[in-house]
Amino acid sequence: MVSLDPERLVEDLSRLPLLKRGAESEIRLGSFLGLPAVFKVRVRKPYMHPRLAARLASQRTRREAKVIAAALEAGVNAPLLLAVLPSAGVLVMEYVEGPLLKELLAGAARGEAVKLAREAGVILGRLHAAGIVHGDPTTSNFIASPRGLVLIDYGLAEFSEHVEERAVDLHLFRRAVEATHASLAGSLYEALLEGYREVMGGEAEKVISRAEEIKLRGRYVEERRRSVWQAVG
Amino acid sequence: MTTVLGIESTAHTFGVGIVSDEEPFILADVRRKYEPKTGGILPREVAAFFSSVAGEAVREALREAGVSMEEVDAVAVALGPGMGPALRVGATVARAIAAHYGKPLVPVNHAVAHIEVARFLTGLRDPVALYVAGGNTTVVSFVEGRYRVFGETLDIALGNLLDTFAREVGIAPPYVRGGRHAVDWCAEGGDFLDGEIPYVVKGQDVSFSGILTAALRLVKRGARLSDVCYTLREVAFSSVVEVTERCLVHTGKREVTLTGGVAANELLNYKMRVMSSLHEARYEPVPARYSGDNGVMIAVTGLMAYKAGVTVEPRRAFIRQRWRIDQVDVPWYPSTPKG
Repeated sequence: MVSLDPERLVEDLSRLPLLKRGAESEIRLGSFLGLPAVFKVRVRKPYMHPRLAARLASQRTRREAKVIAAALEAGVNAPLLLAVLPSAGVLVMEYVEGPLLKELLAGAARGEAVKLAREAGVILGRLHAAGIVHGDPTTSNFIASPRGLVLIDYGLAEFSEHVEERAVDLHLFRRAVEATHASLAGSLYEALLEGYREVMGGEAEKVISRAEEIKLRGRYVEERRRSVWQAVG
Repeated sequence: MTTVLGIESTAHTFGVGIVSDEEPFILADVRRKYEPKTGGILPREVAAFFSSVAGEAVREALREAGVSMEEVDAVAVALGPGMGPALRVGATVARAIAAHYGKPLVPVNHAVAHIEVARFLTGLRDPVALYVAGGNTTVVSFVEGRYRVFGETLDIALGNLLDTFAREVGIAPPYVRGGRHAVDWCAEGGDFLDGEIPYVVKGQDVSFSGILTAALRLVKRGARLSDVCYTLREVAFSSVVEVTERCLVHTGKREVTLTGGVAANELLNYKMRVMSSLHEARYEPVPARYSGDNGVMIAVTGLMAYKAGVTVEPRRAFIRQRWRIDQVDVPWYPSTPKG
């Protein structure tokens, strides 16, 4: 029996088997009302001021719950939400089983990898069409489950229809594949865009071209100001 | 034995380092830092200053190392990224020396050099690196031949945030006293102003311009300066450490380093250490003496590059003001002259 007192609850949950220690939180495996469930516990970052850490944990828990509910309603493959406890920084969700997209891509043949990236593009398109941006759609945040790819971890997601924030999502996916699957990155990003266009239709192009701008916006990007290259002397 | 002379001139410091691949490795470390009496750094003034000190800095380095130019095997130079007029002085000097003495010229990327000197001095082989300086805030890690950018600032750099805030509220220059930044001194005894300064992490990127604006507004409204300094520092440092944490988890690496001009910062080091231990990663920051710009880091990187066959003809040694770290092949990775 778990307690509903926030401090006690977190302590009780810490006895559950650890599935994954993310950058954001600990994911523990247990059961909830008889269903296999994951308990996402936002660990208060010990390297932050306690008030900053507590505020971020509860804000992010509350926001994540709202976003997941909206995403599910819009038909996005997201984990089912079972319970929300913001003051403890705890979300209880359906247990989605399967390998990460990042792992699958590493071992997949080109054709299979491209198919998966395209499916990710469809999911991202649906999410954006529902007025949500994910904020961290890297290949570590897609799980290949029996019911298809599931986009998890809405920890940084927000309600937004801004071209800029949508484009950041595309950019982050691209950067994740560039970082971990550099040789295939170009085709994977193209495949993502194909799936994305399918859902977003005419709206997709603005977002895609903004994503190009973002790529060029980092500091010291040469493409942006090629004219300033100068020969010495 | 291979000996390389390296020249740094990307920003405020004209540095000449001489390094070899045998004990004691670092043979000379000469630095001439441009310090403005008021305001910030003006590229043209820096260039004039560099031109006036370059010759004697090179001579002093050779004297300190006890080697002649004939005994130097290659000349390395930071060709970017950085300020054009400043870069041009170092590049001109390096090309002249290389051409005159018939030495190979080795092009070095300044950002790569900050990480390579950290790897060389800490013994870390394959770390996630947080590179924070006046003009840079980047989280990088090596994947498939290059350092890849996992996260970076979407606007101003962390060092720039600290410097600009300090200057605007009148607590700098000097920006650094006794090894600590003006904002650190000012934050002593400050309290955390919860919710007053925006905490921004977008995916794996950070943003500091909103922090700067909010902090300046707080000061204008009469908030206690020490509280604002404390809060600004807390929010900004926490965000870069959080991005580094995400990179660490994403890559699954086991080592973390901190490098660049802001790397000597005590509080930032504390946060990085706590974060690393949370994930059972080994944390080793670059030694404070080599956190800021210097010639040794250029010489160390030049040595590794030279031994891997990376050279450039002097007439083709163009400066590159916006040379990104992820455009540079690093064929020698992960070995360093120490093994």
